[in-house]
Amino acid sequence: MDDRSFVAAQDFLLASKTYWTKRIYPELKKTYETAAGAAPAPPETPAEVAALLEGEVLYRYFSWLERHLQRFKYAGRYGLVPYHDERRAALSAELRDTDAELAPGLEMPNYYQRVDIHQHPGGVWSDELDGYVYERGARSTTPLMGAAHGDLHHRFTDLVAARGGAKDILDMGCGFGKSTHPFCTSFPTARVEAIDLSGPCVSLGAHDAQTKGSGNVRFRQMNAYETDYDDGSFDLVTSTMVIHELPPREIERMFTEAARVLAPGGRMAHLDFYTIDGPFARFIHYGHGRRNNEPFMQPLAEMDLHASLTEKGFTNIEVIPFKEAEGVGESGNDAWRFPWTVIMAEKMP
Amino acid sequence: MQLSDTLLEDRPEQTFFEDPALDRAFGVVMALATEVYVLRDRARALERKLEAAGVIEPGGLDAEPGDEERAADAGDREAFVEGLMISLLGKQQAKGAS
Repeated sequence: MDDRSFVAAQDFLLASKTYWTKRIYPELKKTYETAAGAAPAPPETPAEVAALLEGEVLYRYFSWLERHLQRFKYAGRYGLVPYHDERRAALSAELRDTDAELAPGLEMPNYYQRVDIHQHPGGVWSDELDGYVYERGARSTTPLMGAAHGDLHHRFTDLVAARGGAKDILDMGCGFGKSTHPFCTSFPTARVEAIDLSGPCVSLGAHDAQTKGSGNVRFRQMNAYETDYDDGSFDLVTSTMVIHELPPREIERMFTEAARVLAPGGRMAHLDFYTIDGPFARFIHYGHGRRNNEPFMQPLAEMDLHASLTEKGFTNIEVIPFKEAEGVGESGNDAWRFPWTVIMAEKMP
Repeated sequence: MQLSDTLLEDRPEQTFFEDPALDRAFGVVMALATEVYVLRDRARALERKLEAAGVIEPGGLDAEPGDEERAADAGDREAFVEGLMISLLGKQQAKGAS
């Protein structure tokens, strides 16, 4: 397919998703509020919201579009996967000389193989071009933000940097480095280690770091809950949009590993989806997880993170809502958005 | 890569409507809508190139077409509409079991 047709089709899909975000979702919310107002008692659980909404025609289209716009984006005739597949030779040549540290023998966890997250055929790890596919797809993950999508990462690193400095940073589940590069620039004198299960993603991360001249970062293929770093070797451990991709048992192991590699007094800062306000938002979020092939969004939302972190010896635990852009979540802006949350904690000195 | 290569034979797609036929039909509609947008984009790009090359005036294709031009396209238009609508009649086009 030619580049122009690919971009036109992807722009059309993004415009459709934006309409879904700004018009269909608020309309669905109004439909829900009307139905809830007429119910004998206000719904208190996602199941009670489901009982009110699942028969609504608008909810059916809302769900269909959430599922299938993403399918078209990745696997349609103008999808990310066929587009990049047609450019395989040139793209794989770009990755040939990166200094990413790959682990060809690393066994991919069962949960990671069982579901193709984000409806990315084959997942983000099984094809050498998956980093490129993921990178292009991530540009339109949150249509509300449009071209400013990268800003959310900087808003997060600004927040982390405002709480203090760091000399040694570990970015767990770094993907292709979109979360990592803002840490490299916000903490220019720090050593940054970026790890991810996906070889194709860390290869692209390393390639981009070389292109950008980020000398303070190393990309390595590694499991976040089973790293090879020495005890106490970091003063900041971070992750962005990673925790919700893990089953609860692996989340616990990731926090345990973070506690191990942090120096006494070191801190964690994670950006993820956790603080959900009310049964309607919870119903929508759980449905998103199901429709977008992210089966652990719901289990994460139902975990008691504060208790989990306390049990692992963390202190000064903060779980706070996060605004990914100016004006989101404010009165008069009813557009759909993720329940962004920052989770911060410190290891006992 | 063929699109059919991505089909997972053991994974039925999620459905959202009471009749799964509607789930599938709406997929066809959205695929067609994507194609329409790709064509619109291409036609617009072509017009810009033609304008830049001086082949057509800016907005030269926007004016209402004359009766002669419309009449010339009438046959094509009717054939298009018939191809689109004929299924609605519910008639066989080759005899066989009903």
